[in-house]
Amino acid sequence: MPELADGIAAYAAHRMPGAREVRASAVERIHGGASRETYRFCLHWREGGRELERKLILRRDPPGSLIETDRAAEFAAYRAFRDSAVPVPEALWLESDSKWLEHPFFVMEEITGCEASPQAIGAPPYAQHHEQLAREKWTILGQISAADPDKLGLTSTLPLVTPGEAWRRELDHWTRVIDEDELEPQPIARAAIRWLRRTPPPPPQRLHVVHGDYRTGNFLYDGDGHVRGILDWEMAHLGDPLEDLAWSINRIWCWARDGRVGGLTSRENAIRIWEQASGLRADPKALHWWELFSSVKGIAIWISGGREYQAGANKDPVLAFSSIWLTNSQSRAALETLGKLS
Amino acid sequence: MKPDVGTVLDVVAGKLLVEIAPAVEAGYKRNSVALTGLLLGMVREEWERGAARRVEENAALRALFGRAARVVTDSGLRARLESAAATREQSYLISELEKGNQVLRALLIELHAHVESLATPQARALEDEIWRELVTSTERRRFALAPF
Repeated sequence: MPELADGIAAYAAHRMPGAREVRASAVERIHGGASRETYRFCLHWREGGRELERKLILRRDPPGSLIETDRAAEFAAYRAFRDSAVPVPEALWLESDSKWLEHPFFVMEEITGCEASPQAIGAPPYAQHHEQLAREKWTILGQISAADPDKLGLTSTLPLVTPGEAWRRELDHWTRVIDEDELEPQPIARAAIRWLRRTPPPPPQRLHVVHGDYRTGNFLYDGDGHVRGILDWEMAHLGDPLEDLAWSINRIWCWARDGRVGGLTSRENAIRIWEQASGLRADPKALHWWELFSSVKGIAIWISGGREYQAGANKDPVLAFSSIWLTNSQSRAALETLGKLS
Repeated sequence: MKPDVGTVLDVVAGKLLVEIAPAVEAGYKRNSVALTGLLLGMVREEWERGAARRVEENAALRALFGRAARVVTDSGLRARLESAAATREQSYLISELEKGNQVLRALLIELHAHVESLATPQARALEDEIWRELVTSTERRRFALAPF
């Protein structure tokens, strides 16, 4: 990808005035979520008489994606949790001007030597570490939930909402996505939305940071069973922390097809770990609301990707695959939460 | 068409997954080839059942609408339910069956919302019937590869 490498090098030189002979090598597209094009590369430069290099990740907006997201929010979240107990890669540069690489993008550190695939986690050498991975995964989520968004500087970056209105803002948003993107009627999603509006959840006591897509597949893990990096913050927002907990234990992520949430542990254990780490209680009534909401959100995401693919805006096979593979399963998950599956 | 569509899709999907994907450089391109193979596997499954599941579902929805027309209190909705219940397939092309299915499923949403607002025992029984149809609708669309 010589053109992209040249563009990256030119931009990096612009951002590093002290650097000389800046070049990018080994530019390679990788799967890094369906909302942005993700590339890994190695940046080389001379500075102070020394040859330097660093492995980096480029996250570039595509023409269309599963979800329309705010790269500034994602970048801000990475920066906010840097140097905290929540492991994240260092976010370096955020660029909204399309003149450099044709689309807006940001650049961050690559955490190397890890795996992210939700399929790989079920096989050796990772399978023997499931309980440890589960402990770390939901402990880190608890730490995100326990964080003070004001102290992290996120209340000036992420849109504010009152705690009592957090559920409505999220439900309105994802309902609107379904309204705009559905390619066929969605009677189960519509029934779920009506139920959610009739039965609002009790509000959280305060606003929390919500990752927005916290699940197996969006964190890096190593062969020793440690979580090394939390990724894909593109849907980060302020709201109810139960939104993240509910999403993380959604039926759709039971990758092993045996009821273990995230393919790792029991639902009860995941909730218990999160409660211990966050110091919060997962009120069953509220969690039930957010679990059903998770399936509405999931349906919205899958059909949105399907529309992009059908319209030709983005022909990445992952969009067609996710939409076909998961929309019906997500509807079944909604039915299960509503107690309609026997 | 011979070889059968299903056979061709099976073979192509298998070649993509077993022969071609491993020969492509690791990373995005290999994943895309493998995903395309898995996608073709689902396309094969849907190709086989596509007409049958729509014919079955459209008939089930028309029958449900016929019964629902006796329960609803909104006269305009009742007229649309009776009209939809009386329709028949004009063509067995999947695209035509799909058009009819979308019209019927949109009406099902309207019916479901209306029935939820009624307090009669007949309405609760109809609501139960709608939920059973929705559960069945997901079984008709389920893929062998589906996570749930």
